[in-house]
Amino acid sequence: MTRNRASRTATRTAALALGAVVAAPLLAGCVPNDPASSEAGGDGPVTLSVSSTADACDVSAAEAPSGNVVFSVKNDGDEVTEFYLLAEDGLRIVSEVENIGPGLTRDLVVVAKPGSYVTACKPGMVGDGIRADFTVTDSGADTAPTGELADQVDAAAVNYVAYVKDQTEQLLTGTEDFVAAYTDGDDDTARDLYAPVRLHWERIEPVAESFGDLDPSMDLREADLEAGQEWTGWHLLEKDLWAPEPADNGGEKYTPLTTAERADYAERLLSDTQELYDRTHAAEFADTIDAAAIGNGAKGLLDEVATGKVTGEEEIWSHTDLWDFQANVDGAKVGYDGLRDVVLAKDEALAGDLDERFETLQGLLDQYQEGDGFVAYTELTPDQVKELAAAVDALSEPLSQLTAAVVL
Amino acid sequence: MFANFLIGLREGLEASLVVTILVAYLVKSGRRDLLPQIWLGIGTAVVVSLGFGALLTFGPQGLTFEAQEAIGGSLSIVAVGLITWMILWMGRTAKNMKADLHHKLDDAIAAGRWAVAVMALLAVGREGLETTLFLWAGAQATGQTVQPLVGALLGLAVAIVLALAVYRGALRLNLRSFFAWTGAFLVVVAAGVLSYGVHDLQEAGILPGLHSLAFDVSAQIPPTSWYGTVLKGVFNFSPATTWLELVVWWAYLLPVGFIFVRAAWFGPSRGRAPQPATPASLEGN
Ligand SMILES: [Cu+2]
Repeated sequence: MTRNRASRTATRTAALALGAVVAAPLLAGCVPNDPASSEAGGDGPVTLSVSSTADACDVSAAEAPSGNVVFSVKNDGDEVTEFYLLAEDGLRIVSEVENIGPGLTRDLVVVAKPGSYVTACKPGMVGDGIRADFTVTDSGADTAPTGELADQVDAAAVNYVAYVKDQTEQLLTGTEDFVAAYTDGDDDTARDLYAPVRLHWERIEPVAESFGDLDPSMDLREADLEAGQEWTGWHLLEKDLWAPEPADNGGEKYTPLTTAERADYAERLLSDTQELYDRTHAAEFADTIDAAAIGNGAKGLLDEVATGKVTGEEEIWSHTDLWDFQANVDGAKVGYDGLRDVVLAKDEALAGDLDERFETLQGLLDQYQEGDGFVAYTELTPDQVKELAAAVDALSEPLSQLTAAVVL
Repeated sequence: MFANFLIGLREGLEASLVVTILVAYLVKSGRRDLLPQIWLGIGTAVVVSLGFGALLTFGPQGLTFEAQEAIGGSLSIVAVGLITWMILWMGRTAKNMKADLHHKLDDAIAAGRWAVAVMALLAVGREGLETTLFLWAGAQATGQTVQPLVGALLGLAVAIVLALAVYRGALRLNLRSFFAWTGAFLVVVAAGVLSYGVHDLQEAGILPGLHSLAFDVSAQIPPTSWYGTVLKGVFNFSPATTWLELVVWWAYLLPVGFIFVRAAWFGPSRGRAPQPATPASLEGN
């Protein structure tokens, strides 16, 4: 009889597991089906028509503003087709509709973030499909209030999780390239990649810090090393790539890492990055992100700026602090933007304050842009540093009220 | 029209073959009284799928693509768990044919009566959501033309006819052959379901390796051909298979197939009590 009882338990467990696997994605995985009705006074969703034939994939526009975008995909060919919206790398599937029979139309609804994408039709369901570039421009406020504040907070969390996932993904891809160049001894390429790849890290740093072990392993500065602690991660490689003069190195001649050491540390950085990617892509991760986590994260990012970037301590060898500065501000802004509707509803003055100070700070930062990036920190005059620090402080103050305004 | 027919055929085969064997197995073992539970499982799956499909098509909220794939993938994997339970049970039963079969059968079925219903639910529900999304899209399009919908429904009808044929063939086997052959068939089907479940999770970005293909025979076996359709419908065969799918397929097929074949074909002790060496059933301890 034990067998029967055991079987029943197994069956019940299976049923529970089934309930869990179905419910979890259902709760987290919603997109508005008919965004028009949820748009309060907005100009409605953007609907693009797509015509898929044997040898063409005509999308009615190559661009759409961020927010709800509907691709109405019509199969005008005579084979079954599929339509994909792919990330910029052309590999990750952002969304797809499969099984569109000839003569049929199926809608693909996505909440699109600003950025570059690739559209693809796959007539006959084989190969890479007929591809084209697609751009989502920043529409500013892309989620209009839809009534319940709670829904907005939930939506903010869902979007923020998506943002973190996207950033870790770009970080991973970038780190792969960086590590490849570095281990191959192609220092010029590695130096070029260093700051732009780290952007993706700096944008979501509070999240990485929430995994206690990863942050020190990946982003520890030499100055913060504690006795007996092994130094690994980005800044170790930074020092090796921008080898200091003895005068800047405590009077000692800097010994470059050997090829084997390079390979070791690079491998470690990559596996840590993969770990960060895996953890942020695990189902449990989404549970840890709520309004408070986003609000505190935004504040945390500004603190990072104040304690590291504005002082030039973060990138002491490469002097790319302004890149990190911008990335921290980006990350804080994304967090705030997600919650902005809630803030507007609860404390309009605070929202106005935050909008203005984000703008001031960004305006200051823009002055130091150079090409795709920024001038070296060492090119800033003391007065310019002071001005930046003042703007950071001015933003920090209202930002510290963000969490309370949203959660209470 | 033909392309839509093939979609209906493929999805219909995917959904109906496991159910067919499930029904045949209850009929062969004289447990027709449990058939209502199967129909209940199937009915629930159909209603839920149709409802969901309608909700996702016409309702205020749709599922994100990731959620759809995550649900599909997870259901496939749970389904494989249940099918495996049934396969292993069949393996042991085939071996002990001469023993007091009916008593054992009753025992196991009593324990698994809801498992049987859940299995039917999963077998149909797994493909149901996608199929109904397709059918609702067809229904929406009927303003333009009825043909796509008719094509798909014909495909579903043919799938059901084929499943009936399999059912009649299965009933003609003697009991021992029935368990041995349908069980072996189910091992291969389950391996395909598992592998495709993994593919869904890869598409959702939950599992890695979507672009690491082990082989791509799309040119030889186009997915839109009738034979590509049947291979996909019966064995969940994908002409472009990732390494992870391939590894999972073998990793399931080899041990489960081995355990099953050893128990069903080379069982040492027909007519005696099961040996302690019999592979542990999935009830665990
Ligand atoms: Cu919902």
